[in-house]
Amino acid sequence: MSVKVDPNFMKDLKAFGLTDANKCMHCGNCTAICPLSEKDTTFPRKLIKYAQMGMKDKILQSPEPWLCYYCGDCSDNCPRGADPGEFMMSMRRYLTSRYDWTGFSKKFYTSHIFEYAAVAVVAIFIGLLLTFFHAANPNMEHAHINSVWPAPAVEIGDMIMGTILALLLLSNTYRCAKFVMGDLWGKIPLGVYIRNAWELVVHFLTQKQFSKCTDQMQWFVHLMIMTGYATVFLLVVGFLAGGIHVIGLSWENLQFQRDVIYPIWHPWRLLGYYSTFAIMYGTTYAIIGRLKKEKTPYKNSHGTDWMFLILLQLTTLTGIFIHFTRLLDWPMPTYVLYVIHMMVAIPMLVLEVPFAKWAHLAFRPVALFLMKVKEDYKKDMDTFA
Amino acid sequence: MEKKSAVYICTGCGIGDALDIDQLSQIATDEFSVPICKKHANLCSKEGVELIKKDMADEGINTIAIAACSPRVMYDTFDFEGCIVDRVNLREQVVWCQKENDEDTQLMAEDYLRMGITKINGMELPEGYKPEEEFSRDILVVGGGLTGLNAALEGAKAGYSMVLVEKENELGGFQRNVKEIAVSPFKEVTANDLPALIREVTENEKITVYTGSTMESVSGGPGIFKAKVKKSDGIAEHKVGAVVLAAGWKPYNPEKLDAKLGYGQSPDVITNAMFEESSVEGKIARPSDNKDVENIAFLQCAGSRDPKHLPYCSSVCCTASLKQAIRVKQQNPDAGVYIIYKEIRTPGQSEDLYRAAQELGIVFIRCQDPEVKVDGGLAVEADDELLGERVLIDNLDMVVLATGMVTVSAFGRDITKEQQAESDDEEDLDVPLDVIRRSNLLNLEYRQGPELPALNNDFPDSHFICFPYESRRTGIYPAGTIRRPMGIGTATEDAAGAVMKAIQCIELTSKGAAVHPRAGDMTFPHFEMKRCTQCKRCTVECPFGAINEDEKANPLPQPTRCRRCGVCMGACPERIISFKNYSVPIIGDVIKSINIPEEDEEKPRILVLACENDAYPALDMAGLHRMKYNAWVRVVPLRCLGSMNLVWIADSMSKGVDGVFLLGCKHGDDYQCHFIKGSELSEIRLSKVSETLDRLALESERVRFEAVSIVDYDKLPAMLDEFAESIEEIGPNPFKGW
Repeated sequence: MSVKVDPNFMKDLKAFGLTDANKCMHCGNCTAICPLSEKDTTFPRKLIKYAQMGMKDKILQSPEPWLCYYCGDCSDNCPRGADPGEFMMSMRRYLTSRYDWTGFSKKFYTSHIFEYAAVAVVAIFIGLLLTFFHAANPNMEHAHINSVWPAPAVEIGDMIMGTILALLLLSNTYRCAKFVMGDLWGKIPLGVYIRNAWELVVHFLTQKQFSKCTDQMQWFVHLMIMTGYATVFLLVVGFLAGGIHVIGLSWENLQFQRDVIYPIWHPWRLLGYYSTFAIMYGTTYAIIGRLKKEKTPYKNSHGTDWMFLILLQLTTLTGIFIHFTRLLDWPMPTYVLYVIHMMVAIPMLVLEVPFAKWAHLAFRPVALFLMKVKEDYKKDMDTFA
Repeated sequence: MEKKSAVYICTGCGIGDALDIDQLSQIATDEFSVPICKKHANLCSKEGVELIKKDMADEGINTIAIAACSPRVMYDTFDFEGCIVDRVNLREQVVWCQKENDEDTQLMAEDYLRMGITKINGMELPEGYKPEEEFSRDILVVGGGLTGLNAALEGAKAGYSMVLVEKENELGGFQRNVKEIAVSPFKEVTANDLPALIREVTENEKITVYTGSTMESVSGGPGIFKAKVKKSDGIAEHKVGAVVLAAGWKPYNPEKLDAKLGYGQSPDVITNAMFEESSVEGKIARPSDNKDVENIAFLQCAGSRDPKHLPYCSSVCCTASLKQAIRVKQQNPDAGVYIIYKEIRTPGQSEDLYRAAQELGIVFIRCQDPEVKVDGGLAVEADDELLGERVLIDNLDMVVLATGMVTVSAFGRDITKEQQAESDDEEDLDVPLDVIRRSNLLNLEYRQGPELPALNNDFPDSHFICFPYESRRTGIYPAGTIRRPMGIGTATEDAAGAVMKAIQCIELTSKGAAVHPRAGDMTFPHFEMKRCTQCKRCTVECPFGAINEDEKANPLPQPTRCRRCGVCMGACPERIISFKNYSVPIIGDVIKSINIPEEDEEKPRILVLACENDAYPALDMAGLHRMKYNAWVRVVPLRCLGSMNLVWIADSMSKGVDGVFLLGCKHGDDYQCHFIKGSELSEIRLSKVSETLDRLALESERVRFEAVSIVDYDKLPAMLDEFAESIEEIGPNPFKGW
């Protein structure tokens, strides 16, 4: 059956940050130079062709955007200035919006006003919530957060939010997996998935594919942000009240939000310092990079790229300030900063994780894992054939 | 003119170190009794030249042989007015390519000096040809399209009176149908300013314009063309000096296209030319119902680059389709515009247009073999090579087929076939005839046919790399799309280039000199008519149609059309054609002056007849690179290998020369001969030489033809050595010492 062409798809992609891919004349230099493009999954040229022809279904089934870590070699070597690297980036934005069944992501990506409004609404809601709902008699002599917002209560909120977010992200990831597997969905035995599950973990933790790119600094920066974020995420979600308090599991000594100051060698404090440093280093590097626009991957910034970096950095900065006001034992500034901290962190989590840039933490390793599964399955089939 | 000869030997550039100059001088003084033979360490210096000039003034010297470097260098230094000069190439072709102070090297130099002195003894000072008729400096431009208009204007601006003849009732040609154009560097589609150009031409006092007129006939030659213009109300006659032929092109006939392209099956399948015509009014609309275009596909290479139709690329269809596509997008930015192409060919700055079209969101589909569907709505199916899948573009309002350009000289009967039918009874020399079609453009009253001969695909071009604007008819310069497919920018430049050539031709001819490629040559062929046998070889073989014929088949040379290649001289079996400084006897004597050593000396001699345009400079370059080659060779440069007369081979063989090596240019479709057919003719003649050799009871391997180009200089030494070896194997010529 013949493919139908939609000439206006490229126009739709502009909202997702597509810039110059119209100029592509399909010489294939980008694919040739890409350190990650492989025989069965070639990119970026092929994807540009799909986009130019308006083949949305083909794009939806393509794992390739997730196989790209955007080192920028393709854009640097494009003889026509078609910026294939940025094209792949816009493909990831587009796919994120397509995976999201709620339609929220598409709005978030395609409308700046919606993006700002969504962040503002969540922030104000959290601000009001924390201002009006707190413990009856906060400690105004010492900076004791638990006296205002007891950790177990916060953790309950945390859990509720976490569950909703996880459901959203997982459902979107499920759709991602289903699209990417295409005809093979449901055909490959579970054993093959299990056999390759390790890939998922490895790619998630190490992003080893990124290390194949020419510019290894990008990999390092990416790894810093990811590990810093993941660490602090674990501390907040898992150990805010010392474990899962709601079901009675709670260890006093493992509480993340506690009013005593832990000794310097306490693992939570060390991990906190690491995360703070890693995130601040990574986000500052990226923000400066995006301002200077010297590195190819930083040349074009979509509104959501800035939102992501700014929210992440603000969350970390307010976290640092809280740490100091607690050390200085200033109660009021600590409480105010805590509210601000939450007003930044919560929108970031609620909006970015299932609907925007953060979602790639799930899509990318899953796509890589599924490619491995496919490859393994094909090998099996060949052996039997 | 009484000759007073002198020989000057330069000892610079290593000549003096490699040769015994005193011994060499004795050839001049003792053997040829030349009164003055001087040597100088640096003959091209001011002092050296002064030495020669002093002898000319004091001793009345008027005939000199300069034994120094190659005639291809220092030619302006050794240019003495009113003096016969020949150059003996001791540097590039003796001392730089042979062993120093070797007996064979010395013998070679001595032979070359003998040949040089023999040549100056035979040469005479040329006097340029002055036609009897009144000489005209006016220029005729045939075709009033973009190229013709520009040509007329350029010529008028240069101060020449121009005659512009257009067959339609209005000037402008195809461009009248073009409303908007894309110019480089491309910013946006701009209005075609043709009316301004037409106004400039019609208001120019130096341009006489005939519209609704064609050429009744053109006769004569450069400087003395007689042009008859057929008007609606009679004939106008003009004497002109040169002609620019800018008769243009026609779109390839879409009726001939493959049925799968859908032409004729739906009114909405049109050609690019029809698109231009239909959109002159402004709106781009569907032909069947005048509805605004929402979806349109352009199919490139409709019948182009296709051996069944036009085998060539017309070079402008891609640019034109891009422009048309951009216009559709300008009219309706939401229109679906598709360009289906084999390869996008946007030469030079047209690439900007391609990029602009891409940025507007025009969809490009690469497919070698698209198919237009007309049943149930217009659609195009194409195998997209860059996608690897079959693509369907439906709901189309229009399909535009980009057909190519056909030169107007491609229409009309080919006279070659008529001639072949006629020439049954004549002695056949297998000379391939030129393709000349009765295309009713010039109607030349030439013995060789009424129009310009075609080179490839009916384009009346000459060698397109070396000689743009040249045709094979002197003084007639094709320009614009009649010459090759081109766009507006190139055609405008082409017009200026062709007029420039026409002006050169007029100015040189007025001085009695030859035009390109022997520009400035004052000689012209003289026919000793008393001995003519009316064999027609000269008229048939002249590559430039410079010889007419009377009813008794006597040749009527038209010297202003002549390019002085000497092909007629080589063709004439009676040897009645000669130039003042180049003739069968002069070169024959030069060959005979080569000293042939006795058989027991084991010094064979090889005569190399080398084309002076490619082979001779290639030999110079071999010397320049200090490449050594066989010392038995003696090189005689020829104006063109086509001027080689078979008698020279017979003469040299009967004198005892062991082998003859002919070095000519590549011929065939991509010929490199400056005179188009020279080397081909000489090879054909050579095929007849075996009779001569048989008569002398000699081996035919003693004579060989080889095609070389100037870049083959590095292969030449090996070629010569190998030929020398084969001659050694055959053994000495038994005629030695007779």
